[in-house]
Amino acid sequence: MKILLIEDERVLAESITSHLSKEGFIVEVAFSYNAAVEKVNLYAYDCVVVDINLPDGTGFDIVEMLKKIKASSGIIIISARDALEDRIRSLEIGSDDYLTKPFHLSELNARVKAILRRRHFGGNNEISYNEIRVNYNTRRVFVGDREIFLSRKEYDLLLYFMSNVDIALTKASMAEHLWGDNMDSADSFDILYSHIKNLRRKLTDAGSNEYIHSIYGIGYKFGSH
Amino acid sequence: MKLLGRTNLYYITFSLLTYIVIAGSFYVLVERMIYQEVEERLRVERRDFETYVRVHGVWEESCYFVEDKISLVSVSDTLDVLPAFKDTLLDNRYNRQLIPFREHTFYSAVNGGLYKVSIRKSLIESRSLLQSITITMLITLSIGLVLLYLFQRRFSKILWRPFYQTLAKAKAFDVSDGSALELGTEPIFEFNELNSELEKMTAKISRDYKNLKEFTENASHEIQTPLAMINSRVEELIQDRDVAPLQMAWIQDIHESTLRLSRLNQALLLLAKIENGQFYERESVDINALIKNKLVSFEEIFNLKGINVTLEERVTLISQMNAVLADVLFTNLLNNAVKHNVSKGNIAITVDTDRFVIENTGDELKIDPQLLFERFRKVKQSSNSLGLGLAIVKKICDVHKFHIAYTASANVHTISITLLQGSTKDQ
Repeated sequence: MKILLIEDERVLAESITSHLSKEGFIVEVAFSYNAAVEKVNLYAYDCVVVDINLPDGTGFDIVEMLKKIKASSGIIIISARDALEDRIRSLEIGSDDYLTKPFHLSELNARVKAILRRRHFGGNNEISYNEIRVNYNTRRVFVGDREIFLSRKEYDLLLYFMSNVDIALTKASMAEHLWGDNMDSADSFDILYSHIKNLRRKLTDAGSNEYIHSIYGIGYKFGSH
Repeated sequence: MKLLGRTNLYYITFSLLTYIVIAGSFYVLVERMIYQEVEERLRVERRDFETYVRVHGVWEESCYFVEDKISLVSVSDTLDVLPAFKDTLLDNRYNRQLIPFREHTFYSAVNGGLYKVSIRKSLIESRSLLQSITITMLITLSIGLVLLYLFQRRFSKILWRPFYQTLAKAKAFDVSDGSALELGTEPIFEFNELNSELEKMTAKISRDYKNLKEFTENASHEIQTPLAMINSRVEELIQDRDVAPLQMAWIQDIHESTLRLSRLNQALLLLAKIENGQFYERESVDINALIKNKLVSFEEIFNLKGINVTLEERVTLISQMNAVLADVLFTNLLNNAVKHNVSKGNIAITVDTDRFVIENTGDELKIDPQLLFERFRKVKQSSNSLGLGLAIVKKICDVHKFHIAYTASANVHTISITLLQGSTKDQ
């Protein structure tokens, strides 16, 4: 999977690149509008992550150009501006998602994967990890052949875990993924804990291995070790 | 007191004083002139009398019969000093009425005898003359005074009109409007100067205000990017398996502080944007539906804390609001009601014809509840909260011209928001 990252802040670009590379993506970076224009015209990408504010242009123009050349890439806009007009405009011109800086890398990762899932696996709407299978069209979850029934939040949590396998997830990023900015952090961590406890129990009760590991002081990690 | 009222008062006081002084001195002056005239005539008559006595040697009463004008009193000596002229009252010959006379007395030798001679002249015509002169003058002066007053009042109004126009515009000046006053030029130099100074001043105020607002917003934006960088690096560090537990705890502290800083920055940015009027679109917001929607998303936290929530819908309240701000408003209000609640407490929400009220149980408040609408004002300074939630609530109420009141009794806190008239609709 090839991803083009258009971001002029080098440190941020580096972090995003290294994080997404660990997930097995091939990440190319364009630090400026002109470099980005060149790349999108030459190569095809599965997903383009673009910053709105670039020193020599705006991310909106790149999105419009992608649409004009009928590129099949998924598009995620990242911006330091949380203005509603920007959100609306970016969706209107055909981008798939909008993330406000600062964001959690794991959140970006989950969003990129969600977009790729929507775009590429037309027939196959399943993601799986060992014995756990999730059909994200019907929102049904199986452990082996046994179906388990999750609440909405537990389902979202499981999907978030499965998009970030072997990545240490902070409580803050998980809380934000589940509730956005709506909830006070201190309270949301308590609720998060009870959701994880339930999810864990439902999975192991159905015969799954223990995949959700707590990392002291930080959060959780989903994986085999 | 109004400027015109004050000038009128001064004008009237001064005019009346002048009027009294003029009238008084005029009266005295005319009276003196009349006396001089009368005395002159009395002297003439004295000369006539003395000539008559010198020629004829005697004085006959019958020479003068018109009035009791000359009387002779025999005296033995001339030791008493006689006043040359004096006022006196004498009986009228026909009707018993005292009439004012001016009297001229002197000693004279008539027919070998010594006499005190008094020549008198009636003042009655002079008095009436003085009276009519005085009345005429008073009437003329009064008319003049009234005319002058009316004229002055009218002119003051015309003269000060530009000043009042400027004043009205200055009153209507709103710094958040973004534009300076436009006052135009006036033919009067001082007003012209006043206007141009005001224009300059308000232009500067507007510009400074705008700059400050933009600065706040730009600064917040600029802060977001480095924060994003710190965050991403910290998250990378968290993925690192080789970090020692102690260092990992430090990293965690950095992570939390950065997130808090970022939340703080976003809250300040939101406040700045509300102040900048960036949420100007209005639409009909169904308050009941919005509250119910919010209650669903808060359900988990209510369950966790064992908070019992009741919603009393007396009407369906529809309000013209900005949809984004309406959402933020109820999120913050509910967050506040949860955060400052007690375990197993209550939240009671009431939607009424023109307002909604959120009541929650909580600890007794040690400070004036109004202060909690200020930025960074917290009940417990050490608490984890940003201290901006209610400041944002207040600002949202301000831009929608809602009235918000916070009251706290022993252990019940009440926030009541009253909507504009006519923005509601009954079910």
